[in-house]
Amino acid sequence: MATDRDFTAPVSSIGWRWLGRVAGGLVYLFLILPVLVIFLSAFSPGAYPQFPPESVSLRWFQAFFDNRAWLKALQVSAWLLLVVTPLTTLLGTTAAYALARLQFRGRDVLQAFVLSPLIIPQVVLGIALLYVLTGMGLSGSLTGLAIGHILVALPYAVRTVSVSLASMDRRLETASMSLGATPAYTFRHVTLPLIKPGIVAGAVFAAVTSFGEVSVSLFLTAPGTVTMPVRIFTYIDQTFDPVVNAVSAIFIVLAVLALVLIERTIGLTKAM
Amino acid sequence: MNISLPLSRVSTSGNSLFSWLLLAPGMLFLAAFLVVPGILLIVLSLHDVDGMLMVLPTYSFSHYIEAFTSAGYIRALGTTLWVAALTAVLCVLLAYPAAWLLVSTRSRAWRTVLYVILISPLLTSVVIRTFAWIVLLAQNGLINDVLRRLGLIDAPLALLWNMKAVIVAYVQVMLPFAVLPLATSLGEIPAALPRASQSLGAGARHTFLHVVLPLTIPGMMSGAIIVFALAAGSYVTPLLIGGRLQPLLPIGIYQQALQIANLPLAAALSLTLLVVTAAIAGVMSYVQKRWERRVYGH
Repeated sequence: MATDRDFTAPVSSIGWRWLGRVAGGLVYLFLILPVLVIFLSAFSPGAYPQFPPESVSLRWFQAFFDNRAWLKALQVSAWLLLVVTPLTTLLGTTAAYALARLQFRGRDVLQAFVLSPLIIPQVVLGIALLYVLTGMGLSGSLTGLAIGHILVALPYAVRTVSVSLASMDRRLETASMSLGATPAYTFRHVTLPLIKPGIVAGAVFAAVTSFGEVSVSLFLTAPGTVTMPVRIFTYIDQTFDPVVNAVSAIFIVLAVLALVLIERTIGLTKAM
Repeated sequence: MNISLPLSRVSTSGNSLFSWLLLAPGMLFLAAFLVVPGILLIVLSLHDVDGMLMVLPTYSFSHYIEAFTSAGYIRALGTTLWVAALTAVLCVLLAYPAAWLLVSTRSRAWRTVLYVILISPLLTSVVIRTFAWIVLLAQNGLINDVLRRLGLIDAPLALLWNMKAVIVAYVQVMLPFAVLPLATSLGEIPAALPRASQSLGAGARHTFLHVVLPLTIPGMMSGAIIVFALAAGSYVTPLLIGGRLQPLLPIGIYQQALQIANLPLAAALSLTLLVVTAAIAGVMSYVQKRWERRVYGH
């Protein structure tokens, strides 16, 4: 079969294939370029990085850990992550399970609704939440920020859990219930262990989304509740603080950690 | 990324009350913090404001009239849609070779590397990715530094604070959203199809244009819709890279809401943006469905 292909395929197709490969490779280089730039600048001694780098320095990391305001922002972001991740995972897992198991008219509409925060312009989400949370007296509070983060992260959690549910053998649930187990017992002891990879991946997505969220947070933040990304935003917007170099490297390391966790649970190929 | 879930069509029985109970918390959360805010945003956009920008109890379409009669906002909406469309087209064009490389790579290790490059931007804050572009493009940034040391330029080039820089950064930030659905589309084409076309005498280019390309239009459209919607609605990247003077509607809305504190006008502008982008995305997804029916026959 393979030789038959070589006879019929015109010579030019080999050329096209290589052209495609080189073009594809260049696109991946373009995608990875900013990450390389950030590592270059995080370890460079000057405020602006040089290429090729002349020496390596950890002074921006030192400056970060010496700065109280940056540490306070890290604390706010960490608090949010610890609150948002379990709540988003809980809401996402239950919603994904119900959407996968229920049959009713309008389910597709409901599904689109659950995923809609992904593509609703973030200024719209920001203003709407700002207005409502101000009315509830929660504007600028950590609770308000947590609500915003859960809203933005929920679609990711629902998606990853749905991926696990779709590949799960449902006869196991049927077997459990035909042996007399209640739906709740079956969910707890049969379904949950089987979809654990999706739940863990969903939690990772929720944590990463919360930690990096800026567009909605900017609307809900107050001087006492500045998150890391919001602080980075205001610093880039107003001045140029090279400490941002080191902060960026920290974010990249967390992204790599998240990548490893996702690959070990549902696998990168199914993550999106 | 798919904006849909892999849901089964098999009917179920017995545990449906339990499933409804599980559905409740998520729905209550979304009702309280997505639906109610949405409705209140519509009401807010209809409130009048006085000279001090205090919200008055009276209602009118004054903010919509201002949005649609002021040359500035009309131009901002036009520029926003144009930039979003251009970003979507560029993303799909660049996504094609990238998706093809992903699908045709046989080595598992290399494929993992490509997936890491594709997924990692989605796990990195948009501020960080935008910051990287500032480091690259600034007056004393990397590109100017390298060009100057190579002796190619004397004075630094002004690469930042213009729309071209915004579009370059947008394309880079949003490219994975275009590559992933396209790769799914390409991966689903049975290997026998292009082979059959070529064994019947069609050249590589003819096979691509008449067999492969039509089958991947749905994947290209899914990517284009997501990129368009995201590019039309975000303000962080254009604000940091293009500067606060770029005539883009999301930047205008951000400033009206947080700096000028005219919330009703910001609400009217953001609802206008939402409706217009949703309408365009809706038309695109209708075209996509029609095409799918034509190509796959269902």
